[in-house]
Amino acid sequence: MSAFRSYQRDRVWLHVLQTSQFRTCHLLLKLCRPLSRETVTASALLPYLWMEGTRRHPSSLALARYTDSLFGASLQTATSKRGSVQVADVYASAPDEQRFRQASGVFEQVSTLVRELVMDPNADAGRFPEQAVHRTKSLQEKRIRSLSDDKMSYSLEQCVERVCRGRPEALPRLGFADDLTGLDGSALWRAHQAMRQDCVMHAYLVGDIGADAAFLEAWLAAWHPGADGNAGGRVASALDNRARTQPIPSRGGSPERVVERQNVQQGKLNLGFTTGMSLSHPDYAALVVLNGIFGGFPHSKLFRSVREQASLAYYASSRLDGLTGVVVVQTGIEPGVADQAEGIILDQLAAIQRGEVTEEELELTRKALQNQYRQALDQPVTRCEFHFTGALAGVERDVPDLLSAIEAVTTDDVVRVSQALQLDTVYFLRSQEAQAHA
Amino acid sequence: MRSQSFPVGDTVYEETLDNGLQVILLPKPGFQQVFCSFTTRYGSIDNCFRTAGESAFRTVPDGVAHFLEHKMFESEQGDVFPAFGRGGASANAFTTFDQTSYLFSCTDNLRPNLELLLDFVQDPYFTDATVAKEKGIIGQEIQMYQDNPDARIFYELLKALYVSHPVRIEVAGSVESIAQITKETLYDCYHTFYHPSNMVVFAAGGFDPVPVMEQIRENQARKRFSPAPVVERHPAEEGDTVRAERVETPLAVSQPRCLIGWKDAPGDVFGSALLTQELATGVAMEAMFGRSSHFFDEAVADGLIDNQFSWEYERAVTYGFSVIGGNTPDPDRLTERVQRQVDEVVEGGIDEADFERCRRKAIGRFVATLDVPSAVARSYISYHLRGAQVFDTVPVLESLDVDQVNERVREHFVPGRRAVSIVHP
Repeated sequence: MSAFRSYQRDRVWLHVLQTSQFRTCHLLLKLCRPLSRETVTASALLPYLWMEGTRRHPSSLALARYTDSLFGASLQTATSKRGSVQVADVYASAPDEQRFRQASGVFEQVSTLVRELVMDPNADAGRFPEQAVHRTKSLQEKRIRSLSDDKMSYSLEQCVERVCRGRPEALPRLGFADDLTGLDGSALWRAHQAMRQDCVMHAYLVGDIGADAAFLEAWLAAWHPGADGNAGGRVASALDNRARTQPIPSRGGSPERVVERQNVQQGKLNLGFTTGMSLSHPDYAALVVLNGIFGGFPHSKLFRSVREQASLAYYASSRLDGLTGVVVVQTGIEPGVADQAEGIILDQLAAIQRGEVTEEELELTRKALQNQYRQALDQPVTRCEFHFTGALAGVERDVPDLLSAIEAVTTDDVVRVSQALQLDTVYFLRSQEAQAHA
Repeated sequence: MRSQSFPVGDTVYEETLDNGLQVILLPKPGFQQVFCSFTTRYGSIDNCFRTAGESAFRTVPDGVAHFLEHKMFESEQGDVFPAFGRGGASANAFTTFDQTSYLFSCTDNLRPNLELLLDFVQDPYFTDATVAKEKGIIGQEIQMYQDNPDARIFYELLKALYVSHPVRIEVAGSVESIAQITKETLYDCYHTFYHPSNMVVFAAGGFDPVPVMEQIRENQARKRFSPAPVVERHPAEEGDTVRAERVETPLAVSQPRCLIGWKDAPGDVFGSALLTQELATGVAMEAMFGRSSHFFDEAVADGLIDNQFSWEYERAVTYGFSVIGGNTPDPDRLTERVQRQVDEVVEGGIDEADFERCRRKAIGRFVATLDVPSAVARSYISYHLRGAQVFDTVPVLESLDVDQVNERVREHFVPGRRAVSIVHP
């Protein structure tokens, strides 16, 4: 199995996975900056503004037509929030030209296009064109507003924001709709320059690329023409202190309770826990296994108790964020059974904390995690994301590293790390009409 | 075992066993995972049928196929999920309008996992108590979809487009309809639609096809099956008109959404004709409404749509429909714009350059799905059950011409077969 090889020039990292397994090659850029209240909205807007065109393809329509003609090369941008780091994402893919001869030369064209998107956007005299700015702001405002439409992800996000309150991790991923008004073409150009100058960039290339020394040199030089002294690029670990996350510490005291009412049929109950551990912690693999036993799978305690035994819900699961260390339990229920469901959920955790974990639960969870992570080896984008998450936490890791750590986890380890879970927030989204009777 | 190799580099192995079960294997060298599915040609639209010897058709409650899918995971020994867990496999299932699929993926222990899949799907076990318990769970699943704007606006569109075809009924049924389901209903539908001759086993991923085919043969040879029932589905009596031209649903959303849909003319489509029709319609709709269309660019500039705007076309044997739309501040103005775009293309046709660009995109996007075993499996099976070969996608796209695509536009986008579904805050 192939592994990532990493190269660095100052703030620019290039991680290459040379493989002939896939029919499509993939290119990911991750431009990372610390989340802050002042810059979150402008930084979140930039990746979408880039899609308004480059100097060579100076509109979103021209860009879309160009990528479609490259055999439907995919070109997407997004903004993501990873712990305390804000990430401008660019993703591109194209058919592998070794297998698909019609697409000869497409990777080079896509690679150039991605660089132009970030380095040579459609801007003039120190500002982005107002028409493009207006259009992107209007789309962003709609994007922000529609975040509340999917109640499952909305309620999860609300719960996580409460758990992280008072910290940069609580800032909304897309920024604030109210702050969009003050952003014009020149303010955004300054934000763009600032991002270019101080972001840490991780680039990922996956495919049958044949990345030789000349290729790597050209790549790094094109992305970081200003840097010197390190001309050849060196194989390095992916550690970089300038974009590093820390887990959310536990607050102590009784949990915060939030009830929000909307016109919905099903109630969404979300319980947020802190652990104070992230994936750089020596017990991280045990935490992953704990989350699996608690609510990661159909054999897990939550699925069996809330769904199969009590018949209260269609879904009841827990998820662990490797950077913040926050665990959130999610379930969709009749509003009237919220107390009962919460009681069952907390009983399941208490049981683990008392040591009630069977050998079978441990074994099934280990196997399910191994299956999940081994499958990630077949998924180029998942594998890049996995590596990137490690880089943000300050560890260089690939999927096989986590697989062997999971293999070594014992019941005692699981019970020990379960003591770290502190219930921080109980967030409940429920129907309006119940309000009248409450 | 027959094998067939395709220019994209894949080889498919296929065999029909003595009991009628079809087995299709697609090895993907270098892949860690194996994805297997066991699928029956039976979905939510098969709600009215009779078997040979019966004079009357019988109608079963809405949501039975989906309810049955849930209950298959319970055997006399208990829940099937942990058994897959012991083999390190991740199991799941889904029901659509015209199929029910049971599946797992694993990276180890293929043999016991495959054995389990074949055995649990061929071993129905329902009791009054387990059926009653499932009603609470599925009831919550239905409630979840009721709150979901994507699901809600789509189902409301189909209810408006179709007068009587059962595609207008939600796959999971309603809380009221599933209340009528008993273990007898489940056994009846199981015995009608789960005979091996109505089913397909499919596997894709890193495995050797010879021992896998041998294992499936041996497994099936050990089991006894009654003769295949001759099932007659009640023919759809869907005409050329819609039930409602415009429907509105209030929901907790931030802004209105609007979907505009057209249904195909009455009549069945099957096999390579179906694949060609689906691809030709897709290229046309991409040219008319895709990201690289003038329509999209101008509608975004006018604030009429956002990036969530999309189109789709689905063609099954007995029905076919297109869906266009997304968030919009003004559903009526969006409807008017979409209709104007349709009128212009019906009148003047699609430009040759637009056609070529959209055809290339369709080819590239098909190639990308080949890297994802679960995606290949899903499209392979779906086309297979409709008599078509998904690997013909590239040659069919290469053989299309712009006249054919324009003809398809005129045939599909007929005013009387249009409906509009709106969800608003």
